[in-house]
Amino acid sequence: MIEIRDLRKSFDGRTDILKDINITIKKGEIVAILGSSGTGKSTLLRCLNYLTKPTNGSIRIGTTSIDAKKHTKKDIMELRSHSAMVFQNYNLFKNKTAMENIIEALICINKKSKKDAQRIGLQLLEKVGMLDRKDFYPSKLSGGQQQRIGIARALAVEPEVLLFDEPTSALDPELVGEVLSTIQKVAQEGATMVLVTHEIMFARKIATRILFMAEGTIVADGTPEEILDFPKDERLKRFLDYNVN
Amino acid sequence: MFDLSYFFGVFPVIASKLQVTLSLTLTAAIFSIVIGVIIAVIGYYKICFLYPITRFYLSILRGTPLVAQLYFFYYGLARVSEIVLNMKPLTAVALVLSLNTGAFMSESIRGGLLSVDSGQKEAAAMLGMSELQTIKRIVLPQAFRVSLPSLFNDLINLLKATSLAFMLGVRDIMGQAKSEGAQSFRYFEIYLAVMIIYWILVLGFSHFHKIMDRKCMDMY
Ligand SMILES: Nc1ncnc2c1ncn2[C@@H]1O[C@H](COP(=O)(O)OP(=O)(O)OP(=O)(O)O)[C@@H](O)[C@H]1O
Ligand SMILES: [Mg+2]
Repeated sequence: MIEIRDLRKSFDGRTDILKDINITIKKGEIVAILGSSGTGKSTLLRCLNYLTKPTNGSIRIGTTSIDAKKHTKKDIMELRSHSAMVFQNYNLFKNKTAMENIIEALICINKKSKKDAQRIGLQLLEKVGMLDRKDFYPSKLSGGQQQRIGIARALAVEPEVLLFDEPTSALDPELVGEVLSTIQKVAQEGATMVLVTHEIMFARKIATRILFMAEGTIVADGTPEEILDFPKDERLKRFLDYNVN
Repeated sequence: MFDLSYFFGVFPVIASKLQVTLSLTLTAAIFSIVIGVIIAVIGYYKICFLYPITRFYLSILRGTPLVAQLYFFYYGLARVSEIVLNMKPLTAVALVLSLNTGAFMSESIRGGLLSVDSGQKEAAAMLGMSELQTIKRIVLPQAFRVSLPSLFNDLINLLKATSLAFMLGVRDIMGQAKSEGAQSFRYFEIYLAVMIIYWILVLGFSHFHKIMDRKCMDMY
């Protein structure tokens, strides 16, 4: 489903934030990415939909393959059509209601009629438990509610891959649960997911595979048991000591 | 002494040109907004060769007096352009006012555009929306909302600036007052009436702004 080959990213042309990353992710895998702050987790995730342009390497999602060195705007659009992202800061459209946020892409990209779009919108609102807030603007919603709308908005385009960048780290602790359980629900429906998170317990619960990043490389890659219960890499051990205890 | 009956007599005569002033204001306002949006968007994206042209345009229109622009356009360009020569004064004023106010409005709108956070644009991009769709559906609506106070400020300045139209011989409120004054010399009553009419108009615009602002507040 996802194939990352020789991915390298440098913002300033000198230091590499991502260093020759190679990953293959199969359909249905739920991949959690762990790592300390500043190790390039977000950058890696954002390279997958070219919100950040890689310096080098190729990325394939579904049927679209794209090379950092030579591609067109159309290639980027095509790549993006295979995935959808949920952001740390929700990034909802502030001038649109919950419903309008969800159906924006359906109307704009999929050219669905308003009626069809709203039918789908209602189903998604129901799924994330937000039916009663459908006409609320983001400014009138709590962080947890905004993030659930963010998830519904991502689901609306029926992406083959869902990308999450620390979806709960901007939330007050008491709101984290509702968002995690929404993500879990989506995961159980057989979605393919790449999830950057600091919630190690949650990663253990839903991930089928965990990647651990340090200094722009993937230093450990395995099942939750292999990574969390029997860590081999020194940096991973230190990270777990620090974050679990 | 103040002649009350003359005042009440001349007031409706001057106010009868309200329509000229208002339609000039509204016509110029519409074109100004269009010009303002286009220039602001060019500035926002720094579109390659258009951007320096718009900067030059802004610099000229904001850096010279409106009266000079009116005269340069209507009398100056008439010497070199057949089109300007045959132009009605009212059209010329509307054009210059649009170009001038457009320059100011573009700055107001640009401020609004910059206030929209990049996260929303990234969200639009990841959904597959084009830049044009994003600016039209997400960025501009929010930018207008933020720019509303300064756009109304520009609008009120535009209304007041239409009073310069009389210099090209247009009979608006100010033009009518001038011609009344030439007959009766009762400048005090006449220009008091002018002041009151413009003042009421500005109050009306401000009130309209308040209503719109409240509507926006209720929304988001
Ligand atoms: N747009 C950018 N321009 C320049 N440097 C950047 C940019 N984005 C990220 N970086 C740098 O790249 C490095 C990795 O950043 P990244 O956001 O990917 O880390 P992260 O692992 O997601 O960290 P966190 O857990 O804090 O979110 C950091 O040193 C950061 O300063
Ligand atoms: Mg990050």
